[in-house]
Parts: sequence; C-alpha cells; structure tokens
Amino acid sequence: MHINPLRAVASDRLALTGFAILSSIVLMAILAPVLTFFPPDYYTGLIFSPPSYSHLLGTDSMGQDIWSRLLFGARTTLLVAASVAILSTTLSVLVGASSALVGGMYESICMRVVDAMHSIPPIIVMILVAAYLRPNLLIMILLISILSWPTGARVVRSRVLSLKERGHVYASRTFGASWGHILKSHIAPEMGPLLIAMMIQDARRAVFLEAGMGFLGVSDPTIISWGKMIQQALDFTYLDVWKWWLLPTGLALSLTLMGLCFIGFSLEAAMDPRLAPRSVEGAVEKC
Amino acid sequence: MKNERLGRGSIINYLIALAAIFSLNFVLPRLMPGDPLHAIYGDEALVAMTPEMEAYLIRQFALDKSWSEQLSAYLIGLLHGDLGFSYYYKDQVSTVILGALPWTLLLAVLALALATVMGAVMGIEAGSRRGRLLDSGLTASLMFLGGFPMFFMGILLLLIFGVSLGWAPLSGAVTPYAGLEGVDYFLDFLHHLVLPILALVLVLVGDSFLITRNTVVSILGDAFILTARSIGCSQFAVKYTHTGRNSLLPLITETGMRIPHLLIQTLFIEIVFSYPGIGLLLNTALYSRDYPLLQGILLLLTVIVLTVNLAVDLLYRKLDPRVRYAH
Repeated sequence: MHINPLRAVASDRLALTGFAILSSIVLMAILAPVLTFFPPDYYTGLIFSPPSYSHLLGTDSMGQDIWSRLLFGARTTLLVAASVAILSTTLSVLVGASSALVGGMYESICMRVVDAMHSIPPIIVMILVAAYLRPNLLIMILLISILSWPTGARVVRSRVLSLKERGHVYASRTFGASWGHILKSHIAPEMGPLLIAMMIQDARRAVFLEAGMGFLGVSDPTIISWGKMIQQALDFTYLDVWKWWLLPTGLALSLTLMGLCFIGFSLEAAMDPRLAPRSVEGAVEKC
Repeated sequence: MKNERLGRGSIINYLIALAAIFSLNFVLPRLMPGDPLHAIYGDEALVAMTPEMEAYLIRQFALDKSWSEQLSAYLIGLLHGDLGFSYYYKDQVSTVILGALPWTLLLAVLALALATVMGAVMGIEAGSRRGRLLDSGLTASLMFLGGFPMFFMGILLLLIFGVSLGWAPLSGAVTPYAGLEGVDYFLDFLHHLVLPILALVLVLVGDSFLITRNTVVSILGDAFILTARSIGCSQFAVKYTHTGRNSLLPLITETGMRIPHLLIQTLFIEIVFSYPGIGLLLNTALYSRDYPLLQGILLLLTVIVLTVNLAVDLLYRKLDPRVRYAH
C-alpha cells in the first residue's frame, strides 16, 4: 500500500503557506541584483538615511543600502540551508542505511557515535569551533553538516531496519534479488518523503545556526548574514533606524524559519496519519 | 525515536560526549597556526603580557613539554576546578562564571515553570473543548508564537515595550547606581525581569500547551473518565484531577528534554536584553576573544546539558514503568 504523503502535503493549507513564504524568499535571493540599484557592500555616502526612493530601507551605520543587504543576505541563508540539507542528509543516509544493512560491530560503533553526538546541542560545539576558526561559508556549511547528520542517521537506520523485514522485500529476496536491487526498487521509493522531511529539518537548523553565528559575531566578517545585520542593528535601538533595519531583517529570518517549519510539520503529519497528534508535538518541538 | 536511546548505554554515551568536548577544548587552541599561547589566551591578552607572566603561563600549561604532559596538566587543572584566568575580567574564570550563573538560572527556571504551568492549564481547557473556538484559536496562535526564533521574539518585545512605549527598561537586571533599597530594589528588579521572561514564556508555552492538549484529547475517551462523569464528579474535578494528573507524565518528560534547548535560547535572550547572565558573558568573551572564559562557559554548558539529559533519562524510566519493561 503506497500512500503518497507529498500529494497530501500539496493540498494542505499550512504547507502551501510555507511554500508561498519560501518561494518569495527564493525569488528575492535569485533576483537580488535586479531588485536593487546597489551592490551590498557599496558605500553610498549616506549614513542612517531613512527610507527613500533610491534606498527602500534606508542605509545602515556603515552607509550601506539595507535593502540590498537584505536581498543578498537571503542568498547566504538559502545557500547554507540548501547545502547543509543535501550534505547532512547524504551523510545520514550513508551512515544510517549502511549500519542497518551491515549490522554487527559496525552498526554498534556507528550508533555509539550518533548517540554521543546527539547528546550535545550542536550550537555549543559550533560556537567553540567558530570562535577559533571564524568560518567562511564553505567551512560553515561543512561544520553544520557534520553536527547535523546524527539525528537523521538514526531515523534512516530504523526505517531501513523495518523496511527490510517487510513481506515484499522478503519475497524479492527469495527470487534472488541482490541488496543493491532491493535498495533501489523497494527501499529507496519508501524513503523519499522521509528524506525530504529530514532535509527540511536540516535546512531549518542550518538557517538558525548560520544566523546565530552571525548574531554572536563569530562567522567570517565578509559574509552578508541576517544574523549579523540583526546584531549590528541591535546597537542602535535608540535611533529610529530599527524600524527599517532591525525589524525587516528579523522578520525575514523568522519568516524563513516559519516557512520551513510549516512545510516540515505538514509533511510529517501527512506521513503518519495515525501519529498526527504526536507529530504536532514533535514538529513544534523542533521549530 | 527518543525511547531508543534510553538503553543501558546512556551513561556511557554521556561520558563519550563529555570526553569529546574536553578533547575539542584541549586540541583546538593547539591546532591553530602560530604560538599556542596566543591561541589559548588570544592576541589581545598578549599585548599586556610581561615576560614573567608568559613564563608562568608556559609552565602552567606545560607548553614546553610533550603533548601527553600538556594533556595531564590540562585535566588536573580541570579536576581542581581551575578553568584558567580571564584576562578581560582580571579574575579566575570559575569566579566570573559563578557570578553570572544565578541570573541565567533565574531566567531559565522561572520561564520554564511559568510556561509549563500556563501551558498545562491552557492545554487542559483547550483539550476538553476540542474543536471549539477556544481550542482552535489557542492552538493556532500558540503555534504561530512558537514558530518565532526566540531571540527575535525578545527583540520584538524590546522594540515594542522598551523602545516605542518606554514601559520597560532596555537593558540590565537592575538600574545601575540608583541606590535603591528594599521594596524599591525588588520592584526595579521585577521591572527588568518582565520582558526577558515574557519573551521566553511566549515561545515556550506552545510546547507544553500542545503536549497537554493532545494527551487530554486522547485521555478523555478513556473509560475511567466516563466513570468519573457517571458517578457525578464535577466538571472541574474531571478536568484537573482525573485528566490533568494523567496528562502530567508526557508533559514532565517533554519539558525535561527541552531544558537544553531552553538554556541555549536563554543565552540569546540575555544578549538581546543585556541581562547579566552567562549569555552576556559569552558575548563578551567572544568579542574580547577571551578564550579561557569562552572555553569555561561552553564546558559548563555541556556539563549542565549532559547532566540534565541523563537525569531526564533516568527520571523517565522511574516515572513510567512501561519504559522499563519495554527495553
């Protein structure tokens, strides 16, 4: 019996809201050079200029156009989110699926590592390492992925373990199918929605961590990051600039996180209708 | 998923995690290019450093010895509770951290208690009116609030009530140099406490609300509730004594599991409100590149998080006999 959770999600209002939010942010990121007159690092000569026709959101304390920084910040956020989602999920699948299929000593070592990594909040390790390395985008993506994969690996492992005991997999094995074939035609299709849910979760964590590192001022200073913009703007709350500096940036970040959260929540609810009440709670906990 | 890691090996897992953080703390500064003393103490500290002090530090960290001796010097220092010297605060790191810890604990514990109690009460009320206006309204609005990143919730409150309306102070835990005493001091302290707590509670309360609501919805169909109703228990007694007590178990365990998350969020809230706890200290340590202080804070956080996780694991098994039989 194949239920396609993706179809259920496509008609869910919550997920559609999430899609709408995310697509507008993706559009912002892609069209960034078209939507603004100024490169994000361009010194306009005006400091703390209020919003005007040429500077939609005014300029910041460094005389840079806030609207362009917001647009190019979306690129950073989405780049980190997408790369971490792909990289971390790939790692989860490799470790999770291989330990479920190989078993034995290999499995227990892998799961020990996963459990140990799972018990420390990633942000603590992230702050520690970032304080020394001041990571650029590439190192940031690698770091977040390395810290994110264990949760997913556990999920993949238990799913593969249960899938490989299913009747049709047994049937296929009695016909002499190789593990490679079983993986391709019986296990992989069932894993699709789960992997998408994992990628969304990884993306959300990555957005938060990237913004958090910017907010704490430990990422590479040349990265245009919403978190760093919020942190810089927070020093000037005594001026009126927060209205077009702090507020839009914070809203953009919150909307991105909410958009991912809505889609993830709706997907998880659709994947297991029996567990719907549990997954309400699970989804919110992760938000 | 969660139950799987509650096996016998959980203590070993925590020890491995702890050892990993210790080694990261030890190895990172020594892997950095250049003089490890620079990396351990930060460049700024060395400007003010005298040759005698440098010689003393090299001896203290055993930097002129082999790796193994450096490691044992580091571990022996930790065992004595010696986290190093914070050059920014000109004091022992442990003293600096212990001075800030009560503020963080105050925020975290108070917010957790308020959010849990409020969430439980609202959850019971909403769950027993499943599908009606109060239920759907509360669920939607609390989920929306819970979607905010906590530090932005803090910033929003700060901008609305602090900056625009001027109802609440913008920073700190008490008004500095105000010379207030007695009741006035306490009121001033509360005045500073309101916004940070509110920010934490607004985001947290959704979690406890949803857990309680969902448990209540599932319990209300049980036979013993029907019995309670049929023998004439009041609506209040059914809601709070029968349903409420039975929905406590998931609430307690989920709350416990969320403590590490709460702790991290409290740090960000402290930075937003310049509240003088561990979070603000962390921010200072990062900006002044006070690495011993930074390491001390992160080490303490790790120990707290691991201890809480372990305690929740053990408590969970105690509270719910089903878990013990299941494994």
